Amino acid sequence: MNSVASTLTTSDRLANRGARLALILLRSRAILVLALLLILFSILAPNFFTANNLSILSKHVAISAILAIGMTFVILAGGIDLSVGSLAGLGGMVAGYSILHPLGPLPAGIFAAIVAALAVCLLVGALNGWLVSRAGVAPFIATLGTLYIARGAALLLSDGKTFPNLAAASPSFAALGQSFLLHIPAPVWLMFALYAVAAFVASKTPFGRHVYAIGGNERAARLAGIRVPRVRLITYLFSALCGGLVGLIIASQLEAAHPATGESFELNAIAAVVLGGTSLAGGRGSVTGSLIGAFVIGVLADGLVMLGVSEFWQIVIKGVVIVLAVAIDQFQTRLQARLLPFLLRSNPEAGA
Amino acid sequence: MRARGPLALLLLFAGCHRTDLSRPLIAIIVPSQDNPYFKAEGDAAAAYAQEVGFRTRVDAHNDDAYRQDNLIDAAIASGAKAIILDNAGADSSISAVRRATNSGIPVFLIDREIQATGIAKAQIIADNHQGSRIVAEEFARATGHHGEYVELLGRESDTNAQIRTAGFHEVLDKIPTLKRVAAQSANWSQSEAFQKTETMLQSHGDIAGIIAGNDTMALGAAAAVKSAGKRNIVITGFDGSPDVVAAIQSGEIAATSLQPAVVIARLAVDEVVTFLHTGSTGKPEKQVILCDLVTRTNAADYRNFEKIR
Repeated sequence: MNSVASTLTTSDRLANRGARLALILLRSRAILVLALLLILFSILAPNFFTANNLSILSKHVAISAILAIGMTFVILAGGIDLSVGSLAGLGGMVAGYSILHPLGPLPAGIFAAIVAALAVCLLVGALNGWLVSRAGVAPFIATLGTLYIARGAALLLSDGKTFPNLAAASPSFAALGQSFLLHIPAPVWLMFALYAVAAFVASKTPFGRHVYAIGGNERAARLAGIRVPRVRLITYLFSALCGGLVGLIIASQLEAAHPATGESFELNAIAAVVLGGTSLAGGRGSVTGSLIGAFVIGVLADGLVMLGVSEFWQIVIKGVVIVLAVAIDQFQTRLQARLLPFLLRSNPEAGA
Repeated sequence: MRARGPLALLLLFAGCHRTDLSRPLIAIIVPSQDNPYFKAEGDAAAAYAQEVGFRTRVDAHNDDAYRQDNLIDAAIASGAKAIILDNAGADSSISAVRRATNSGIPVFLIDREIQATGIAKAQIIADNHQGSRIVAEEFARATGHHGEYVELLGRESDTNAQIRTAGFHEVLDKIPTLKRVAAQSANWSQSEAFQKTETMLQSHGDIAGIIAGNDTMALGAAAAVKSAGKRNIVITGFDGSPDVVAAIQSGEIAATSLQPAVVIARLAVDEVVTFLHTGSTGKPEKQVILCDLVTRTNAADYRNFEKIR
């Protein structure tokens, strides 16, 4: 191949370099947009680029990032999970219920609340997984159903009321969402811990490979001996677990559990995943991308609040960013396909 | 967890008790069942109506005029004798109210008015304008008429959000030493108010107060202020929910404007009864009920949107 490369003309080489640069920029666009937003808001909003604000901002991002990390596996495997927002509501309500009603079969306190909340969410996650992989219900429909079931269950649990004053009943419960370790809020630690585990699992374990394989071509994956239903089930279980965690964090931060908590959070999570370059068709994307996507949305939201921009414009801007991200994603895919022979000519590994 | 299965079932049946079909039906339609204010309003109307011999059904339209339309149709179809409605929008609800009236079912509006008269039999509303003024006056007094403040707005497309912020500013804009430095909508939501207050405290660290368009947002703001370790920030709400009344007693929130939801709901049932017997409520269509200012000195007098002594 070296002899081929050396026969390229100078103009060829320049064009080649330009195309490669464009591709590199396109591939890292999420992080570029994030850097751009950080610089922009640091200039425009006083106090934006301070340790304290970045810590609070990360705490806000943690909510959608944790959901997005769980959602990434589901989407990578070719599914979708619309129920996570409702699960955040249900998880918080179950925790609130078990804190205020300590006569249940489990001993009272924060431990019981966490176990109960996550167990209920995992149950719904198992239902999602079963519906999709065994009953053959389309993921969109199955999780739309559990979205309503979980929301209704959350409302039934308190007859629509808020469970108030959770910190008074269990002081340690407030620590979950409010405490700090090395000046970093607990939810942010949780987000990074989940990220580290998820990124490792996605890229370095057989399970991660199986998730990508199923999303890329389910039939081929099945023929290759991958236990598709089992892998699918685990992705929904993990996503539901993330939903429950978010519910616990919010209930702990507010020291109260409200049954409507988490409405439309699933859309924020999907937006973060898509912004991070994961294809909704499955098989392509990364956990890192989703984390960056969540930061882009979070920085945008908090930055616009600090600038005093009206809610209506915030919604419009968020929509524009999401649509642009997907449009650019399509552009990248096409550019890559067109440049592939050209790139292969100079560097055989570039196409891999 | 075993105990919760039967509990959920029990709650399910509790929702459809007293279905004695021989009794006349009153359809009660409220904006939501997970907001303590609307919940108290719907529950009070239902409980009182059952007490005086009606069968009731409570539904929520979630501020969606289209869903409200469907619920009105359902009430007409099920032969309701009257509809008590907390409507989904001053303009977008007129046609639904007219349709029910034309089908011979009298409609009694509670809490919010519509931009038309002569259709509904009664419009019994909490005076949001007066309510916002008294809470703004208390807010100004508690801040010592001095300093910077931020405002949490309700859902900006909602009529009451607009009336309340207008009322706040009628009072506060006359005080030159009190300056609004930021305003954000938190869409009536506690978790959204929490996040937005945290962020606003970053750009405006030494504010004297936060004036919120409703109680759930005031609670979110109070949690954010507490988590930021700030003290002496005056927070006020609007609605008079039990959680905020408790927070007023503990000093986390300074004041709220209590909308007499229970009084209004019972009044509506009384007028339904009078109307069904005599063909008239005997009162003007528009009846404005004043809000009460709740502060630390009188918080013990209020329970679940009702003055108890």
